[in-house]
Amino acid sequence: MEIADKAVHDETRQHAERLCAEEEALAALVSQYAGTLYRVAYSVVRNASDAEDAVQEAFLRVLRHRDTLNEVRDQRVWLIRIVWNIVLDRKRRSKTRPETDDVSELARVLPAGGLSAEERAAAAQHHAHVLACVEQLPAKERQVLMLSAFEELTSVEIASVVGITESSVRSRLFRARNLMAGLLNHPRSLR
Amino acid sequence: MNPSTQDKFDSSCSSSGFEETLRLVASLSAPEGLEERVEVTLRAELRAAPRAVYGRARILHWPAALRLDHAWVRSSLARAAAAAAIAAVVIGGGWGVYSRVETSQPASFVAPLHTVPPGGFSSAGAMRTPQTLDGPLVAHPAAATSKAAPKTPAQAQLLRVRPAAAKKAVAKPAAASGSQQKGAPIIP
Repeated sequence: MEIADKAVHDETRQHAERLCAEEEALAALVSQYAGTLYRVAYSVVRNASDAEDAVQEAFLRVLRHRDTLNEVRDQRVWLIRIVWNIVLDRKRRSKTRPETDDVSELARVLPAGGLSAEERAAAAQHHAHVLACVEQLPAKERQVLMLSAFEELTSVEIASVVGITESSVRSRLFRARNLMAGLLNHPRSLR
Repeated sequence: MNPSTQDKFDSSCSSSGFEETLRLVASLSAPEGLEERVEVTLRAELRAAPRAVYGRARILHWPAALRLDHAWVRSSLARAAAAAAIAAVVIGGGWGVYSRVETSQPASFVAPLHTVPPGGFSSAGAMRTPQTLDGPLVAHPAAATSKAAPKTPAQAQLLRVRPAAAKKAVAKPAAASGSQQKGAPIIP
């Protein structure tokens, strides 16, 4: 009887220790990558609360698959890929909201330090125009272009996030830049 | 709006200035307290369903003393004893089955002894097996002659295309032979 009690006690203690270790590992992941994941999510959904929801969901998925966490080679890219898929899925589902609202909101929240009120208005208008053009790109090119804006992501990492080869990333990026130049120079040629 | 300001932004639009906008979007800072909120959610989730929902859910609930992570399972002596017991059960069972099997019938088939003549070809152990398929049937000679079967494919086609003409062709010589029989003297 005593042996059984001791075994149960040992098991409870081990379970508590394991729980603490998992909590610490997850907390480390959150403090390290939550900001990056939020920015990636925000660049797609362009809404603060939606982006935060996406980050929460991404970490909940990590929690569910925490047993395989040690097998992940690059946790940062893995997490970005998770949140990227979440936000793309959400955006695909919420087609009802007009994207012009997102664009104008984003142009308003973008930093414009050291500018006068007039310049800030012009900058907001410019950002809104650029983002409207980005929205008109084909999805594949748009995704690669948006991910390329993240300085911490190399082309290899972008390829890993999107699930294509590195050469495809480069060719899509080239095409996206050409299309953007065309759209910005000839606004009438928008689709 | 001041035209110079507008021009400045227009010029940045025309070149790769759009990437500056994207870079600004990508460098937006996360809202205050994001990490704390995420951590609180994760903690709550972790404590609500520690292992039952996620990951390694236990379907069979073994007694504590029999679980694989228990201490006695880890000792090498106990593991060796358990392995020996399993091996003994398997070998004993196999021996029991083997000892009960009776070889009731002696071998009734004796393989023929093949001797190879010196310098000759051997059959390499090949045995002749009888033909199991039905062979071609030989028709009775009387039945074969009664049927006027066409001999060549051209004749067969002719019969198939114009059966009436063929009948005439068959009937003509018969009529000719009949008239010949009438008029001609009977030759014994």
